Amino acid sequence: MASFTHGNITIEVDEDGFMAQPEKWNNEVALALASTEGVTALSEDHWKLVNYLRDYYTKFGVAPMIRKLCKETGFPLKTVYDLFPSGPAKGACKVAGLPKPTGCV
Amino acid sequence: MKRHLTIEEFSRPSEQLARVDIEDLIPLPPPYDGYKEPEWTRLKDEKRASCECSLDDTVLLSLPKPKSLREERELADKFVAGLQKLFTKENNWTFLQPLVLSMEHCAKCQTCSDACHVFLESGGNDVYRPTYRAEILRRLYYRHVREGGLLSGLTHGRVGMTWTTVARLIELAYRCNLCRRCAQTCPIGVDNALIAREIRKLCSQELGIAPKELHEKGTMLQLSVGSTTGMNSLVVKDNMDFIDEDMSEKTGVKLQSKWDVEGADVLLIHNAGEILAWPENPGAFALILEAAGISWTLSSELAAYDGVNYGLFYDDAQFARIALLHAQAAKKLGVKKIVAGECGHEHKALMVIADRVLTGDLNIPRESSFVLLEEIVNSGKLKLDPSRNNFPVTLHDPCNVVRLMGIVEPQRRILRKIAPQFREMEPHGVDNYCCGGGSGFAIMSGNNFAEWRMKVSGRRKFRQILEAFRDEPDPAQPKYVCAPCSNCKGQIRDLFAHYGAKEKVGLHYGGLVELIVNAMTDVKPGFMDFDAG
Repeated sequence: MASFTHGNITIEVDEDGFMAQPEKWNNEVALALASTEGVTALSEDHWKLVNYLRDYYTKFGVAPMIRKLCKETGFPLKTVYDLFPSGPAKGACKVAGLPKPTGCV
Repeated sequence: MKRHLTIEEFSRPSEQLARVDIEDLIPLPPPYDGYKEPEWTRLKDEKRASCECSLDDTVLLSLPKPKSLREERELADKFVAGLQKLFTKENNWTFLQPLVLSMEHCAKCQTCSDACHVFLESGGNDVYRPTYRAEILRRLYYRHVREGGLLSGLTHGRVGMTWTTVARLIELAYRCNLCRRCAQTCPIGVDNALIAREIRKLCSQELGIAPKELHEKGTMLQLSVGSTTGMNSLVVKDNMDFIDEDMSEKTGVKLQSKWDVEGADVLLIHNAGEILAWPENPGAFALILEAAGISWTLSSELAAYDGVNYGLFYDDAQFARIALLHAQAAKKLGVKKIVAGECGHEHKALMVIADRVLTGDLNIPRESSFVLLEEIVNSGKLKLDPSRNNFPVTLHDPCNVVRLMGIVEPQRRILRKIAPQFREMEPHGVDNYCCGGGSGFAIMSGNNFAEWRMKVSGRRKFRQILEAFRDEPDPAQPKYVCAPCSNCKGQIRDLFAHYGAKEKVGLHYGGLVELIVNAMTDVKPGFMDFDAG
């Protein structure tokens, strides 16, 4: 486990750069994590995606299907990649403070 | 530049035993001729200071460095004790015989090295020779299991039994995809991949050391929550409902997946990763089974909606626990047979290795979905128009299903019927090469391990795919790699992203059932949408 510091935020991350303690997530942490994805500012669309992921994870304890994410936020997959260049799992989930998706996904 | 490695230096501490220089990698065919791989991302200094990282350019297990001489000795002693257990019948009822034969009969002819994609694509780096890893274990075996003295040491050679030896050997057991192409080619049947797998087993069962992706977030999660994906039964049902709805909309055919149907002919078990990451796959399965009038069901029992059994890759006890859950769910429903979805290791786990665990009324017939799909396609129950699949298609052979089980033709006979531009990769069938993600590597990306999967283990498969489509250089022409295995798909997805292959070559990938549905005339045209995602 390593720690990662951005500005005055320090968090524990795993070897893939995902949050080790997802319950410690907040908006400032999201901004700090976004910097590791080459995203310097979070627009309204970024937040819409992040908040959807956050809500789903809190409710079900797992990341949503990518297709469901697209359908329910109204963003086609291409837009998700435009917003988070490493994609929904490696990029958006990371910024939303979810742990790294597991299993053969 | 690569250099010759001796066995003796494996036990001597150094900063890094082996390096793969980018210059040593074999150039790729067009349009990647002239492409140069980026340099390795160097592991962070704090990582190197705290964990064992001295094998090669990457690290998977992150074994903490010992804090005292006592800790150093402890690891080595436990390894020796585990090694001795590994060679007893009571403690290794699964693989003792082939392991002993592989220990005692290698002629060191190196035929296997020429068959290994990892060794070849690394530019011939000694550390990745199938025999290098095996020879270290062999010397330890003769010294600590056969308790050989001076004469044995002179005959078989020695290697120091140090913390460094053990730590590097565990890590090196995770530089082999367990594809067993080496075993296939060995003139006397030595199985160097089994040796890698048994080192993993010893470390998991006796030392408690295993990659978190396979153990903590793999088998343990599956045994407690029900799936390696973390989906419990409510979430998986909710997701399948969504898939049904989405598929109905997309195909114009009303779809309703079946759950927990008692007495069904077929219990279909998918790799649950399909449901989350490739929903067209379980959706297409449901559509085909319904259209063919098959009596089928999914199960919502613990672990029975996830065909994954990572125990196959590293731990016999975990393997047996999961195999039992799969069979118990089938017994409870009273189904006639279990059918494995498009997942390579699920096939081998459930159909071959589980034979050692499932006895009596748990020994329920198990079948490959490729076989059932061929029966369905041949039955004439689906109306198929192959011209809907009129684009170049090639087939990737998942090692577990094809080389290791001999299921070679059913999937090909389907493709010959429904894909007019089907062409083989070379070599193919039982001589195929692994995707480079085999034995669970496709789900491992920590530190810079994903780079190793791209630069070294996955390079041969990418080369084969490029060669298969060499006559179709226009990136505007979509080309499809049919890879009927979740793990292989994950690796191929990462390879295509790494090389920008969709944009540069027009490469797409997916499973077998999607191609079948794409050809069904009852389905709205354009099921496969190459423009999306």
